[in-house]
Amino acid sequence: MRQGTDFFAGGLRAGALAVGLVLAFGVQATAQSRYIEVPSLEEQVDAGTLPPIGARVPDRPSVVDLVSEGKEVGRYGGTLNTVMGRTKDSRQMVVYGYARLVAYEPRNFDLVPDILERVENLGDRVFTFTLREGHKWSDGHPFTAEDFRYWWEDVANHHELSPTGPNSELIVDGEAPRFEVLSPTQVRFSWSTPNPNFLPALAGSRPLYLYRPAHYLKQFHADHTDHDHLKHKVEEHNQRGWAALHNKEDNLYKFDNPDLPTLQPWVAQTAGPTQRLVFSRNPFFHRVDRQGHQLPYIDEVIFQIADGRLIPAKSGTGESGLQARYLSFDDYTFLRAGEIQHDYETYLWRTAKGAHLALYPNMNVRDPVWRELFRDVRFRRALSMAVNRHEINQVIYFGLALEGQNTVLPASPLFESGLRKRWATFDPKAANALLDEIGLTDRDDRGVRLLPDGRPLEIIVETAGESSEQTDVLQLVEDQWMKVGVKIYSRPSQREVFRNRIFSGETQMSIWSGVENGLASASFPPAEFAPTAQTQYMWPQWGQYYQTKGQAGEPPSLPAAEDLLDLYHQWVGASTDRRRSIWEQMLEIWSEEVFTIGIVAGVLQPVLVDLHLHNVPIAGIYNWEPGAHFGIYRPDTFFFGEKRARVPDDVIAQAIQGE
Amino acid sequence: MLDYIARRLLIMVPTLVAISIITFVIIQLPPGDFLTTQIAELESQGESVDHAKIAALRAQYGLDQPYYIQYFDWATGMLQGDFGYSFEYQLPVSDVVGDRVMLTIVLNFTVILFIYAMSFPIGIYSATHQYSWGDYGLTFIGFFGLATPNFLLALVMLYFANVWFGTTIGGMMDPIYIDQPWTMDKVLSVLEHMWVPVVVIGTAGTAAMIRRLRANLLDELQKQYYVTAKAKGLSPFKALMKYPLRMALNPFISDIGNLIPQVVSGSAVVAVVLSLPTTGPMLIGALQSQDMYLAGSFLMFLASLTVVGMLVSDLALAWLDPRIRLGGGTGR
Repeated sequence: MRQGTDFFAGGLRAGALAVGLVLAFGVQATAQSRYIEVPSLEEQVDAGTLPPIGARVPDRPSVVDLVSEGKEVGRYGGTLNTVMGRTKDSRQMVVYGYARLVAYEPRNFDLVPDILERVENLGDRVFTFTLREGHKWSDGHPFTAEDFRYWWEDVANHHELSPTGPNSELIVDGEAPRFEVLSPTQVRFSWSTPNPNFLPALAGSRPLYLYRPAHYLKQFHADHTDHDHLKHKVEEHNQRGWAALHNKEDNLYKFDNPDLPTLQPWVAQTAGPTQRLVFSRNPFFHRVDRQGHQLPYIDEVIFQIADGRLIPAKSGTGESGLQARYLSFDDYTFLRAGEIQHDYETYLWRTAKGAHLALYPNMNVRDPVWRELFRDVRFRRALSMAVNRHEINQVIYFGLALEGQNTVLPASPLFESGLRKRWATFDPKAANALLDEIGLTDRDDRGVRLLPDGRPLEIIVETAGESSEQTDVLQLVEDQWMKVGVKIYSRPSQREVFRNRIFSGETQMSIWSGVENGLASASFPPAEFAPTAQTQYMWPQWGQYYQTKGQAGEPPSLPAAEDLLDLYHQWVGASTDRRRSIWEQMLEIWSEEVFTIGIVAGVLQPVLVDLHLHNVPIAGIYNWEPGAHFGIYRPDTFFFGEKRARVPDDVIAQAIQGE
Repeated sequence: MLDYIARRLLIMVPTLVAISIITFVIIQLPPGDFLTTQIAELESQGESVDHAKIAALRAQYGLDQPYYIQYFDWATGMLQGDFGYSFEYQLPVSDVVGDRVMLTIVLNFTVILFIYAMSFPIGIYSATHQYSWGDYGLTFIGFFGLATPNFLLALVMLYFANVWFGTTIGGMMDPIYIDQPWTMDKVLSVLEHMWVPVVVIGTAGTAAMIRRLRANLLDELQKQYYVTAKAKGLSPFKALMKYPLRMALNPFISDIGNLIPQVVSGSAVVAVVLSLPTTGPMLIGALQSQDMYLAGSFLMFLASLTVVGMLVSDLALAWLDPRIRLGGGTGR
């Protein structure tokens, strides 16, 4: 019971606080009067089609203390406009809404209960979840343990709906969890060995869903509904079978089915292909502020769909109230120019990837000579030291990016200043010496070194062909590497071709972004630093070997990579204190071996905010996992109020420095 | 004549079958299928994809079948009016395309009217005032429109439309009217937004049309019947309208065959840049994500329109111009 519970100490406190508050309000009857009804819902409440607010929020809601978070107490109403690139982006509403069973909080990226009232975690093996009494789906139907049971028995383990069984995050060494319903508001998942990836998966930007709105989906389920009736429905929807229909209706993440109940702060109102997605407030949302407002403050969110390349122009002419997606640092000057005419301002948030761009020498390349060379740590170090990161930073990023290796960022609790700088300071002399030491001493008349078999040392670096920024960076790298006798050519391609060529070992080197979570803490799984996925472009085959449990790919054959994998396995079963030391060892090996050549990190993300929109932090982290882009800053607490004064430039500049 | 039409209709069948096979093969040519594209996209955004689940999905979509079976399913479905299923939108293809066709037709029809309205007077003027300053000046403007890349012109015009008139950037209407019932305000909003794409798409077509009309008209203006008509004392305008202009109209009629598919799908590149809710960007998106039935059915639809359009224009020409005769009823 001891081990691992402290992981959740913060969350337990938050839960206890919520209980305390409600008790302070008195028993439920008085608690109801404490809530302030939403004006836009009053009509429905008066007409009796919607229960009053006290009956809509859970008995013990999640109480948000805005003042202690440095936010203002808001007011109801308003419409938030934003622009998205494709109809498929409807899922961004789930990302921004960020209602999860457990969720990351923005300060230390700790996991705290959100939809759940309480989580008990016994050594990462036994997880007991307590739901909020009186919590309801967006259609008013109670959210209970039955919704978990339906998912587990009738969806995840149903041979037609999930022919491959439950999601892979739930399987530890081939073992599925034991699922128990303890009471209508309590469920338990247990494994015999630890599954530390379980809670982070629940808090993900694209979360692992352990529940389904059973009362809605049963009508599409062959075990729960009349056969003829279902057959009729399948035909009506033009589907291949009831399972296909069920899967189409069951899209908690894709969020394009207005009939599907949800627990998110805003509910989809529009379906199908459209140019304008509308989301309206969930009248049964489980978060309230301390003053008795039910969140979200904003009544309606609208996604306008436009071509991705037009979005900066649309944003800069005031069509968006909150925009970061589809904007990039190059748009900053244009956005600032637009501020003169339109009521918005532009913040700059840090991105949290380990590297914004990194070079990946493919250690699984087919050519044996190149493979040998890429696996030689001296070669990788030499290439890394031959990159003049300062020059790239100044030329392309106005000197605002962080130079260094592809590893955790200064904001991470695991950060150590030496790690980013190791083998990453520009030193062509040392690089040349290392290359000579490998034996690559012969050069052709251009000054390009020769491989042992006499071919010139020419590396083709492939890009996914999506941004000219990558090509620009490669142009600079080309000039820098030429000074140590290494010639590169860049070859743009198309994303899927790009990946497949890397996977099959045709690509020598590729350029892509670095590790996803540059802010990792010791409790975050270090999978990205060990050969565990095919999408790790420096060792796709080793990653594939792990992913397919040895059916495809090949086992890691570099001692350092084996060590990393071994350490990762140890981390899974380790105690909290031990995890930190494992992380440190892994980061040490990672930096020492220079598996990827990181260039710059922490590139700034412009965040456009309407001057009437309050509670959006001036400085933030713009990241997918963890972070959910805006999600972690809880857009349900954003609100429209008086027009704000612009934040002075020096405050924004300070905010960037402070990160 | 009836015999000729029947013959032409029969030839359409093998033509369309051939087109359907070619379309299907070309769509299948790039490696992978819709699901692999989907995985690539998700994974590169940092979302994890369950590889085991993909195989199940592939079976559900029928993508694990051999190509020829997929083709026959699709082709026989089309004969029964079922155009297949769009993977991306998870809807039948007809539902996906439906909404967009109307706006596309409105837009492209307006473009064609614009082209005619611009090129007719200019073409006539250029021909009757050959080598004058007016001829050179107008021709220059026409070529200028033809030579400027459409997308560039589109962006520049969007910007100035926003700065000068406050028109929202891109789209066919103000965002607030999307998916709303048609009202006078909505129509006005559409008109306000439509002139940019109409002018942009139109300028390119106008130049070509001016040149064709000018060349044809110049040929006719040399001919003796026109000289005679003028010599008889017919007013120059009436003489021009009554004889040479009618002769010069043939290219407009023979263009119908190309115009019909263009009305439905035209101007994809400009539509992408301007973010117009027309069918062009949808087709490009479908091809990119290998949403094969959506792309395939749409291309088939266009091919059928082209084939029908060609027939219509041939028949119209024969009816309009007595010089074109059907030799023994077996075609020209």
